[in-house]
Amino acid sequence: MSHYNTLSGTFSWRDDKIEWPVTSDVGPGLEGVIASDTAVSWLDPTSGSLSYRDVPIERLAGIRSFEEVAYLLITGDRDREEDELAAFRSRLRSSRALPNEVVQLIRSLDPLIHPTRLLRAGVSVLGCHELSGDEDMSGERHWRELRVVGQVAALVSEIARHRAGSEEHQYDERRSLAECMLVALLDRPPEPIEVETLDMLWVLYADHGLDAPTFTSMIVASTLADPYYNVVAGLSALRGPRLGGAGEQVLEQILDLADEVYAVDWVHEMVEKGGRIAGFGHRIYHMPDPRVVILRKQMATLARARGRGELFTIARAVEETATALLAHKGIHVNINFYAALLFHLLGADGPLVPVMYVVGRMAGLVARVHEALENPKLYRPLSQYLGTPDREMDQGGVE
Amino acid sequence: MIGGVYRTDVQTYGRGLEGLVAGTTSIGYIDGEEGRLVYRGYAVEELAANASFEEVTYLLLNGDLPDDYQLDEWHHEIASWRNPPEEAFKALGRIPNDAHPLAKYRTMLTVAACHIPEADATDLGAQQRRPARILSWAGSLASAAIRHLHNEPPVPPRMDLGYAAHFLYQALGRVPTEEERKAFEASLIVQAEHGLHAAAFAALVVISTGADLGSAVLAGMGALSGVRHGGANQLAWEVLEGLEDPDHARKWAKEKLAEGYRFPGFGHRVYKCPDPRVRVMEPYAEALLRSKGLENRWETYLALRDEVEQALGPRGIFANVDSITGLVYHPLGLPPSAFPIPFCLAIQTGWMAHCLEYLPEGRMIEPGAVYVG
Repeated sequence: MSHYNTLSGTFSWRDDKIEWPVTSDVGPGLEGVIASDTAVSWLDPTSGSLSYRDVPIERLAGIRSFEEVAYLLITGDRDREEDELAAFRSRLRSSRALPNEVVQLIRSLDPLIHPTRLLRAGVSVLGCHELSGDEDMSGERHWRELRVVGQVAALVSEIARHRAGSEEHQYDERRSLAECMLVALLDRPPEPIEVETLDMLWVLYADHGLDAPTFTSMIVASTLADPYYNVVAGLSALRGPRLGGAGEQVLEQILDLADEVYAVDWVHEMVEKGGRIAGFGHRIYHMPDPRVVILRKQMATLARARGRGELFTIARAVEETATALLAHKGIHVNINFYAALLFHLLGADGPLVPVMYVVGRMAGLVARVHEALENPKLYRPLSQYLGTPDREMDQGGVE
Repeated sequence: MIGGVYRTDVQTYGRGLEGLVAGTTSIGYIDGEEGRLVYRGYAVEELAANASFEEVTYLLLNGDLPDDYQLDEWHHEIASWRNPPEEAFKALGRIPNDAHPLAKYRTMLTVAACHIPEADATDLGAQQRRPARILSWAGSLASAAIRHLHNEPPVPPRMDLGYAAHFLYQALGRVPTEEERKAFEASLIVQAEHGLHAAAFAALVVISTGADLGSAVLAGMGALSGVRHGGANQLAWEVLEGLEDPDHARKWAKEKLAEGYRFPGFGHRVYKCPDPRVRVMEPYAEALLRSKGLENRWETYLALRDEVEQALGPRGIFANVDSITGLVYHPLGLPPSAFPIPFCLAIQTGWMAHCLEYLPEGRMIEPGAVYVG
C-alpha cells in the first residue's frame, strides 16, 4: 500500500502504477483524492505542461486535426496506423447523420432555450433511436461511444442553426468535424485559418483530467449504463456557472468594452470592488496555463484576419491589467478567456460557447469512460452520519 | 453534511472510492452489519408501516416529519405540479416504441428541463423550491413513458390521489386497490434514500458545479440505469421469470452456484447481512402475489433466495432490494422494463436531499487521477 501526500504541493500525480487501496490526503471537494489511474493525459502540476498519451499538446495543437487527436486519446495509438485512423475517421464522420426525428425534436423547441439543455435533450432522444430496449451492447461499446463524439458535433451544428433561425444543416461527409461545424455556423465554406482555429480549440479542450462532466460520466459508466446516459449525465454538469458557464461570462464582459482604455479602467474597478473577471483563476493552475499561450497567439492571428484587431487589443489590455493585479494571488488567465473570444470570432454567440467546447471534451470523456470500463468498479464512497440519533414516530402515528 | 469536509484528513480507500468517507451527512445511515437503514433517525421499517411517501419525502428533504399543516401544504405543492410541459409528452412521438422506458423517461425529463421555471437561478432558495416539481413531473412523465411501450396515451392527472396512488393511476390507467397502493408505497419508502451510492454521488458532483437540481437528478438517473444499479431489478426479475417452480429454482441455483455465477439481485457493497428493505417488502409481495393467484411465483422466489443465501450467506451475500421489488411491480401490472422507474422516482428524493445539504458550503467536487501512461 502506498501513501500519497497528494496535497503537499510536491506530489507529482505521476507514477509507474497504483497499488490499491491507496492512502492519500482528502480535502474539500475531494481535492487530493485519487479517483482513478489513467494513461489518457498528464498534467504536470509543477510546470503546468499537458500531454495527451505522452504527446505534449504543443506538438498537437495547430498541427494535428481534432479527429486525429481524438483518435490518439481514445485508442492510445501514437503511431497513427493509417488504416486504423481512416476507419476511425470514417466512423466519426458518418455518425453525424442524425435521424430526422432527432432534428425535428430540436426544431420543435424554442430556439432561445439554452443550447446546453437543447443538446442534452438531443443526445437523449438520439440514444432512444440508437438503442432499442433490449439491445445487447457487449463488444460494440467501443464504437458506440465513438459515434457519440460525432453525434454531439452534429447536434451542436443543428442547435446553432436553429438558434440563428437558419434552415437545417446539410452535412457533407467529406468535410471534417471542424469544417462541417464552421459551415453550420458561418453559412459559407470556411477559410483554412478558421478550420485550424476550431481544430486547435477542440484539441486543447479535448481532455483535462477529471473535470465534473468527465468524472460524472465515469461514475455513470461504472454502473454499466449505456453511453447515452453517461453523456446526458456529463452534459448535466456542463453549464454550472463554475464550469462551462465561464466562457459565456467572458463574452458578456469583454464584448461590452469599447476600447483598451476603457478596458483597463474596467478591470481596476472590478478588482477593487472584489468582482470576478471571467476567464481568470483555476483550481489546478496557480501558474500560467500553457494552453493560453497557444490560444493567445491564435487570437492575434485570427482577429487580424477577420478585421477584428481591436478585440484582441482589448483582450490583451484586460489580460495584462488583471495579471498585474491578480497574479500575486495565484490567479492567472485561464483557457476560457481566449477560447471564448475565438469561438465568438468563429460565429458562435455566448450561450453556444459551452456546447462548442464540449465537442472537443467528448474525446477525453470517451477515452476515460473506456478506461473506467476496462476495470469497472462501481463508484460508491461513504458518508459519516452526524444527524438525529435513532428515534421513533409519535404514538398514535401521523396517519 | 457532505460539504462539511472543511479540514483535510488522510484516508485509505480502494478503487471506486471504496471505503472513502466523502463527508458527513444528517440525512440517513446504513448499518451494513446489523442490516439497518435509517432516515433522519427513523428506521425504514417503521416509516414503511406508518408513514406516507409524502411524509417520508418531507422528512428526508427537511429533517423532520411534517405536522398536519405542513403535510397538507406539501401534498398541495406536490399535486400542483402534475402538469409537466406539453413538449415533453410530444417528444414521445419522436421516440421508437421499443426504446427502453427509462431512456424515454430520460428524454422526457431532458425536454421538460428546457421549460423549467427560473431556469437560470441556482441560488439556494431557487434550488429548495425545486423538489416538489421534480417529484411530481417525474411521476407523470415516467407513467407516460411506460404507457408508450404499448402505444397507449398518457392518462390526465387527478388531484385527489396521493403520490403513490397517483403514479399507479397514471401508469396503469386505473385507481389501485388499497392493498396495491400500500405495497407500492412501501416500496417507494424503502427506496427513498440510500447514502452515497453511485447515482447519489453522480448527482452530488453535478450539483457541486452550480448546476440546477434537475440536472443533478438527471445525472443520478443515468447512473441508476446501469445494470449494476437500478437496472438490476429488471435483471433479477427476468432470472426469476425463467424458473418454472421451486424445484426448478433449487436445481438451477445449485448448477449456477457451482459455476460461480453472480446472481442478479444478490449481494451488496454495503450490506453483508439480510437487506432490511427485503424484509420490509417480502410480506407485501407475498400477499399481493397470492391475491393475484401467483403463489407459484412467490414460492419460486423463496426457493431461489433460500438456496442462494444458504450457499453464499456465510460470505455475506444475501438477497438485496432488487430481487424483491419486481415481485411487487409485476402483480401490479407494470412491465419488467419499467421496474427501474419506481426506484428512480423514490431514490431521487435522497439525491435531492444530499444535493441540498451539500449546496450551502460545498466546493466543486474534483478528485484527481494518477498518470500511469
